[in-house]
Amino acid sequence: MAQPGAATRLLSQLSRVVLTPGRGVSTSAARCVDDLTLKQVEPQDTRKSLLSSEEVQHQKALAGYITVDTPDDITHLTGVPEEHIKTRRVLIKKPSKNTMQSGTSNIHKWYITFDQRERWENPLMGWASTADPLSNTVVDFSSREAAIAFCEKNGWQWSTEEPPVKPPRVKNYGANFAWNKRTRRSTK
Amino acid sequence: MLRIGVSRLLQHGSRHTAASAAAASAARAQSSAPEKIEVFIDDIPVMVPPGTTVLQAAAEAGVEIPRFCYHERLSVAGNCRMCLVEVEKSVKPVAACAMPVMKGWRIKTNSEMTRKAREGVMEFLLINHPLDCPICDQGGECDLQDQSMTFGSDRTRFLDTKRAVQDKNIGPLVKTIMTRCIHCTRCVRFATEIAGVEDLGTTGRGNDMQIGTYVEKMLMSELSGNVIDLCPVGALTSKPYAFTARPWEIRRTDSIDVMDAVGSNIVVNHRTGEVLRILPQVNEEINEEWLSDKSRFAYDGLKRQRLLYPMVKDSSGELRSCEWEDALIVAAKALKSADGSVAAIAGGLVDAESLVALKDLVNKLGGESTCTEEIFPDAGTGTDLRSSYLLNTKIVGVEEADLIVFIGTNPRYEAPLFNARVRKAWMYNELNAAIIGPKVDLTYDCEHLGDDPSIIGKLLNGSHPFSQRLNTAKRPMIVVGTSLLARPDGGVLYSQLLQLSQKLRSGCEGGAEWRVLNVLQRVASQVAALDLGYTPGVTDICNHPPKVLYLLGADEGAITRDQLPKDMLVIYQGHHGDRGAEMADVILPGAAYTEKTATYVNTEGRAQLTRAALVPPGMAREDWKIIRALSEIVGTKLPYDCLDDVRMRLTEISPNLTRYGEVEEANYFTQASALAQLVSGKQDTTPIDVPQKKLEDFYMTNSITRASPTMAKCIAAVRKEAANRYIE
Repeated sequence: MAQPGAATRLLSQLSRVVLTPGRGVSTSAARCVDDLTLKQVEPQDTRKSLLSSEEVQHQKALAGYITVDTPDDITHLTGVPEEHIKTRRVLIKKPSKNTMQSGTSNIHKWYITFDQRERWENPLMGWASTADPLSNTVVDFSSREAAIAFCEKNGWQWSTEEPPVKPPRVKNYGANFAWNKRTRRSTK
Repeated sequence: MLRIGVSRLLQHGSRHTAASAAAASAARAQSSAPEKIEVFIDDIPVMVPPGTTVLQAAAEAGVEIPRFCYHERLSVAGNCRMCLVEVEKSVKPVAACAMPVMKGWRIKTNSEMTRKAREGVMEFLLINHPLDCPICDQGGECDLQDQSMTFGSDRTRFLDTKRAVQDKNIGPLVKTIMTRCIHCTRCVRFATEIAGVEDLGTTGRGNDMQIGTYVEKMLMSELSGNVIDLCPVGALTSKPYAFTARPWEIRRTDSIDVMDAVGSNIVVNHRTGEVLRILPQVNEEINEEWLSDKSRFAYDGLKRQRLLYPMVKDSSGELRSCEWEDALIVAAKALKSADGSVAAIAGGLVDAESLVALKDLVNKLGGESTCTEEIFPDAGTGTDLRSSYLLNTKIVGVEEADLIVFIGTNPRYEAPLFNARVRKAWMYNELNAAIIGPKVDLTYDCEHLGDDPSIIGKLLNGSHPFSQRLNTAKRPMIVVGTSLLARPDGGVLYSQLLQLSQKLRSGCEGGAEWRVLNVLQRVASQVAALDLGYTPGVTDICNHPPKVLYLLGADEGAITRDQLPKDMLVIYQGHHGDRGAEMADVILPGAAYTEKTATYVNTEGRAQLTRAALVPPGMAREDWKIIRALSEIVGTKLPYDCLDDVRMRLTEISPNLTRYGEVEEANYFTQASALAQLVSGKQDTTPIDVPQKKLEDFYMTNSITRASPTMAKCIAAVRKEAANRYIE
């Protein structure tokens, strides 16, 4: 008991020295810290300095991250019913361009969708009802790998589709007026 | 200068060997453009081949320039002016869609000048555009709506009355509200360039300009529905879909079309358990961005004539609906007591999963004949070699070919998107075409060689005048229709064609890489069925009638009840009450292609997945599950419990069936040709004919289309059009 008490005292003195460097040298306590560099007198966490060696060992063992070699799986923790893990199939793909429009801004991402479950017309309002909690789940990802990792983590069976390849094509206003090509346009 | 560049591009392309068109066209662009030039789009540097337009270069840099008239699959029109952008050191803004970039250009897509130009164009476009958005079907997916929000002014300066244009009647599929038209001419260009019907055009000029057919007539094309997609405003919308739903309320499921053997990629738009419309999905290797009218509009057939409940014939000979258990027990009892005398016929809309389940069941029960309705000759190697029944050059391969010969097929109606691809190659790659069979309009110049079957023999021995052209062709293609193969002498003709193709292949410039022989299948299930070992044609069943006949979606009337003995029990499994269900004693309701996640193999041999958008109606179930359930009751349980197990079984039989999206190449042409030489038989003299010659033959070809009111309207409209005195 006495030992830690002494240490605390010493520490408080030391910290005082650090805090008031101007007058530190004139105090009596200063004599014993004369040869200490500033680094050595940095304040220490009292909780750490009070620990026994075993406790220090234990803390060291707990520090940092634990690397687990088995694949990441959070299905036991999420509380998702087994029915919505084991029976669901996820499709990972890039959105296809809506052929009704020419914009392409919202197709540069990956997304996951779930297999369709039954929907029915609700007799009360005539709206569509479903018993599937995942029916409206569409999650966007920046890459396919991220989407796959997410599905693996959640224990869903996934499949993925390749995004469409876009071959380069030659566009040429002059081709409308070519004199010896079938690309010639008469009029519009 | 540019024109020479392009012609050189095309020449190089035709000589180049590449596995796919994507690779080919990439190579094409590279081979003639060794040096790329650098341009700057909003200070982002991009390297592009010379001749690239400003708009394409901007897309490369990830900058989207607004446009109305420009469409990447149509010719450049340059008439909407929406794509005006500023180029540094240029006094005026330039039209990005038509202007090729020059070295070192700095293009500003967001400068004051560009924004002012766009706002001005927008103002003029909106002057004559009605404020229809709340009642317009395009609302929510309208380019004009979106772009006026982004680039337009926030107030109007126009106080006059707006122009109004009379609506045109161009058929039962496309609704026109011509007042909304902004004259982008996309529809006109589509009709002339892709569809090949020069019906649409413009009349008048300036404020009086109108898009139309000049005289009232129908847009007589099997691809007419695509103008609905192309129209950037709501001037051309879908008639069957009119006022049905808004795009933001719709659920979209990507799937595969089964109306023909091309396997077009589609997006099924659905809500509250019904299909509202079907749109194409971009797949450069199959349908590009187009869809045939049958695939697009036959969806209303999915709601009519459906088999909702299992049915069993009662003592008075009437079909009565019952529980699944009862129907399965009746079917199982019959199958068990048949003592191995069981046979199956598969129709044209059946998926690979149910095909394999049915074949396994029949084989386990001791039956041997599992047949398809489509006929394929047994002579020579028959269907033993995959290459004998596939479209071996693939659909994109057409763009590399320089001569194509159609034999006993009308690709325009049997596979409209394949025909569109041929037309594309005809227009841009100088492909030449010839046809043996009835004289039909294929929308491009096609030399008619006659309909005499002996022409094939003459081509083989080189005595026909056309042989010269065939022999000198660098990359010839021979496309054989299945209606030719269904002839009594189909085997003889096909063996001649096998030899001819092999002869051409060894002589042509494409070499061993190039495949000359192509079979154009007509139905979606055929390739998968042949891959799984089904016997084409039902002659076996007619000759040796079994005690129980299992029809799996067999609706084309390959076999009729009169041909079968009275005491035979017929089980029909399928989704529509059509010819097959009519002759059945037990009916097991199955799922249509929008209701199951299933494998289909297209005519190229490309396996693709349909994805379930809905659940089967009533008590109907997924097809392979029905067969699996039945097998358990019969006592010969099939060894698969889930879809993955069935796919494992498919992979076991033929691995290509589960390599989705890819084409597994087929070979052994030499062996097939050598064995074909042994085939001998009597050759018929009846002229070569095809069943689908005119547009009205196109619309109804399977049980779904026969149940579709829209398809019926199309046929009625086409027939009525025959009386139109304005058409020749």
